[in-house]
Amino acid sequence: MSIVNLRHLQPGTRIGLSDGSTVEVVSNPLDGVWVFGRYLSAPRDASLVGTEEMIFAQDIVEIRQTP
Amino acid sequence: MTDHGDDVAHLFLQQKIESFLYWEAELLDERRYEEWLALLDEDVRYWMPMRRNVKFGELEREFTREGQDVNWFDEGKETLTRRVQQILTGVHWAEEPLSRICHIVSNIQILDVKPSASAPSEVTVKSRFLIYRNRVETETDILVGKREDVLHRVDGHWKIRRRKIVLDQNVLQVKNLTFFF
Amino acid sequence: MATGRRYRGGLVDLGAGLISREIFVNEEIYAEELERVFTRAWLFVGHESQIAKPGDYFVSCMGEESVILCRDREERVHVFLNSCRHRGMKVCRYDEGNTPVFTCPYHGWSYAADGKLVGVPYFREAYHGKLDRSQLGLVEVAQLATYKGSVWATWDPNAPGFLEYLGEFRRYLDLTLDGWDGRDGGTEVLGGVQKWLIPCNWKFPAENFSGDSYHNISHRSVDMVGIGPSGSGRRDMRERLLARRLQICFPERGHQTGVYVLPKDQPTPPAYQQSPVVSEFFKQCEAERRRRRGEWGRVTGSPGEVFPNTALHPRQPRTFAVWHPRGPHQTEVWRWYLVDSESPPEVKDFLRQYYIRYSGPAGLTEQDDMENWNYAHAASRGTIARRYPYTYEQGMGFEVENYEWDGLRLPGSVMDITEAKSSEHNLRNLYRRWAEFMDAEGWDELATWRTPAS
Repeated sequence: MSIVNLRHLQPGTRIGLSDGSTVEVVSNPLDGVWVFGRYLSAPRDASLVGTEEMIFAQDIVEIRQTP
Repeated sequence: MTDHGDDVAHLFLQQKIESFLYWEAELLDERRYEEWLALLDEDVRYWMPMRRNVKFGELEREFTREGQDVNWFDEGKETLTRRVQQILTGVHWAEEPLSRICHIVSNIQILDVKPSASAPSEVTVKSRFLIYRNRVETETDILVGKREDVLHRVDGHWKIRRRKIVLDQNVLQVKNLTFFF
Repeated sequence: MATGRRYRGGLVDLGAGLISREIFVNEEIYAEELERVFTRAWLFVGHESQIAKPGDYFVSCMGEESVILCRDREERVHVFLNSCRHRGMKVCRYDEGNTPVFTCPYHGWSYAADGKLVGVPYFREAYHGKLDRSQLGLVEVAQLATYKGSVWATWDPNAPGFLEYLGEFRRYLDLTLDGWDGRDGGTEVLGGVQKWLIPCNWKFPAENFSGDSYHNISHRSVDMVGIGPSGSGRRDMRERLLARRLQICFPERGHQTGVYVLPKDQPTPPAYQQSPVVSEFFKQCEAERRRRRGEWGRVTGSPGEVFPNTALHPRQPRTFAVWHPRGPHQTEVWRWYLVDSESPPEVKDFLRQYYIRYSGPAGLTEQDDMENWNYAHAASRGTIARRYPYTYEQGMGFEVENYEWDGLRLPGSVMDITEAKSSEHNLRNLYRRWAEFMDAEGWDELATWRTPAS
């Protein structure tokens, strides 16, 4: 697992989180700490799917798909 | 061989330009302000931008813009002459008594020469400065930064056509800029 | 905070016109001042043109403290303390920019531009969902006001609203903020706020700009060499030479300014004559200003001060300065320069160049002020020096209320110094108000205009 530089995540990128969720990047404040993302899948809590949340850098484990 | 000839021409030019900049520093340190003004082209541009702390990726906004924004200096020979005249009135209290000043000029690099090193008429030079100013009793300022100059030859002498002064400070750590960079 | 120290009638003795040097150099008085003055007064923070779009921010200063001036997504303006609620780290160490959130690099807390805490790492896990985020937004000023483009703020919820705080001084503040042609507002600040340190107490420059009409000798050298916009002196003087020269202050508010009033039917003399474009533009604007403002169009201003530490100068140069306290022995000056948004580019550029050579650390005029403030302060730190108060006696007793001249009445307490050449009327006023703030427990004591004298 490599450390992702959040500054490089373009909107539309799909990222995998440590809890197994898949999130699509909606916008990037370029602070290297957070991105705004929409849950595409959320094994831990299905009600998250479709919702937009701030995603923390340390919760991101991989880049699944670039736009 | 052309290469070797070029090297020699560059070596001589480097020495000449360094001498010019050291001579300029000498004039300023010795308070020979009017002679210093004579080293400036009549159309000289003398610009010292202010610097901002900006986010990574937005560095184009780090410097205030020449000719558009408020800068520390953004002027020509007319205003520089006024500055010298002000010091020479003897009643410019910020420079009365006169400061003691030392310009250390270093890292002199010729970035460009036109049309050639062996017959140069215009040179782009970058240098670093450390200006030490001591004033009245214990007032001491040290300013460090870079200068990007364009020099050109006028009647067989080098003149400063353009100087951009890049001071490595954000909030200015000195109370005034009564001296020349 | 009882110290046994008396300000009104003690360290600031306006009956005798004497002010103790202690108020400039004493560490304890400085600490009290931060508490008594800077937490309760209205302070200038910036200009709306610096935060024109949602997400725009400009990091500013109130007293010693870093604040963020910003505009949120709903276009509302805010001023926040630049410090994370968790462990204090500055959430913004850039000077200006645009951002949807301010994120702390220490533990990652993140705040929206409306101040709300929107990002807390491991909120569900480490905090078990038990942190009341609604109580942990960025600390916001108690009150904020925008006035003709200028932005002001106070930490004191009990302070009067900004317009009440200004009182009638507002008409003089307008001389800096209204257009050259007399329209309401319409200014923008030029890019680049000058920031620099001077080794003196903030009250030296504050009193200078309150209306030190006496210190022209400081500027003799710049007058001799001539940097003025018509080629001589340091500014266009003809208007001033024809005018009544006044010092106007508001004793209950602590604001004051110099003012010039032309005689009735005297057209404004030409100015900015180094540039035909600018002098013509000025001429047209003045005609329009007279038309819009009537008799008030005869009035122009010179240096002034909004209590406590915002200096204004309406023309030649046109600028705001804030004297930020940095300990008793140091001031950090921030200087903004203004132009009318709708003036032609040649006018803006001409003024910009004039401002640069006039004011600031590279300004031929301001340099000499700073030298005097520096060494006046330095010479006042000594044990013996502190025993000798400064004299502020000039012109005591010659002030006039309800001043009127040639058909124009001017609000405020006025000292006509046309013949006298100078007075310290305005300076006394600054310290009167300063002493009141230092002594007063609250706004009941400070807002004396609310209780008419019996």
